[in-house]
Amino acid sequence: MTTHNMLIAPDFSPERFAGWHMFNILIQKRANLNMHLNMPASHAEQEALIDAGDIQVIYANPFDAATLIREQGYRAVARPIGKSDEMVIAASANSDINCLEDLTAGSTISMANNRDVKLIGLRLLEAVDLEEADLNWTVTETYQAAARQVIKGDSQAGFFLAEVFHSFSRLTKTQLNVLIESDLADISHVLLIKEDFPDTEILMNAILNLHNDDDGKEALTELGMPQGFEPMSEEDAEFMLDLMETLMD
Amino acid sequence: MGSPLPDANKPDMPSEQITLTYHDGTSRIVYDSGVERPYPDGKLIVSRTDLDGILTHVNDAFVEISGYGVDELISQPQSILRHPDMPKAAYKDLWATAESGQKWHGYVKNLCKDGSHYWVYATVVPNVRHGKTVGYTSVRRKPSRSKIEAAIAQYADMKQNEEG
Ligand SMILES: Cc1cc2nc3c(=O)[nH]c(=O)nc-3n(C[C@H](O)[C@H](O)[C@H](O)COP(=O)(O)O)c2cc1C
Repeated sequence: MTTHNMLIAPDFSPERFAGWHMFNILIQKRANLNMHLNMPASHAEQEALIDAGDIQVIYANPFDAATLIREQGYRAVARPIGKSDEMVIAASANSDINCLEDLTAGSTISMANNRDVKLIGLRLLEAVDLEEADLNWTVTETYQAAARQVIKGDSQAGFFLAEVFHSFSRLTKTQLNVLIESDLADISHVLLIKEDFPDTEILMNAILNLHNDDDGKEALTELGMPQGFEPMSEEDAEFMLDLMETLMD
Repeated sequence: MGSPLPDANKPDMPSEQITLTYHDGTSRIVYDSGVERPYPDGKLIVSRTDLDGILTHVNDAFVEISGYGVDELISQPQSILRHPDMPKAAYKDLWATAESGQKWHGYVKNLCKDGSHYWVYATVVPNVRHGKTVGYTSVRRKPSRSKIEAAIAQYADMKQNEEG
């Protein structure tokens, strides 16, 4: 049996790792397909894998989706229900930074290496006249490490993937003060399939029905998307890409 | 360009009555209370129009801040939000840019149903489907106070030149 390649964009939170393996095992069984799971650690690694040309299924972030759909022959077929991509800007609860306006040019921002979080964060900082070049950036291995830097006062604020921020321990969260949380709503990760992939229908069937039984539900809960996936039309995807286009500059 | 917009209802707040004339020669009465509404934190205000600028989609943030119901917006011209302080040249530039297939950015003062207003930094992109433009999307973000002040001064200048 042919083995197909599925790639998961590297920006998921670490505790979702097991969930993606459960997801892969289940859909292989249900669609009767051999599917190799590729979990690149960085955006550069993701690009190299895609450029090598043998990836049939991608769980892509909305920023990469634009190029993948409009230039690389993928189409969006599904997205997680009720799970949009959001970010949080937070300062130390002990600091005198209590709102976005308290951040000034020359401040240092801690963040994990996630350009989507950075882009949305920069869009939110426009409202207080701060641009990328006005700030110092420290890029940490994990969001936890970014949170520690903010709490210790090594940086004035942190950019976080909202999902990761909300999964921090209570102790961590009480030491941080949310300055703003995005609520962009219409923007989410999307499931892409290469246009010439022969088994789209059977694969989609397996994915869209995962939430209908206990095993599937368990995998989806591990992934933080308990409601499962919904189908996405070509127009749904194009609409999201038009939104993304407005955020690029 | 659809049916002309009816006159606005006179708000309860004290306000100035103004007759707006649109690019197609139609006009209507609107009210300007001078009260500013805060931009909703963290959100984007999104709308889509057809090729003639008639609204085909509005998101929740759009509905909430405009003060109109969805039914009062869909199928109406996007100029339902036109504020009398906005110079015509800004919209001429918006349309010329979008119709040539390019992305437009600009600061916009919009009028709410009750005569209050809000400022946005707006981006308009053409919706290209299979090589053809089928409509336009606008996404608005929160502008900084300093950018709003600069736009107020610039638009006041532009308006003076338009009238004089
Ligand atoms: C996608 C899109 C979004 C627009 N958004 C606004 C808006 O928020 N407020 C506004 O007054 N005009 C907006 N316009 C411009 C209006 O269509 C219109 O040109 C403007 O209100 C001035 O009216 P007039 O052109 O009839 O003189 C938008 C146009 C497009 C294509």
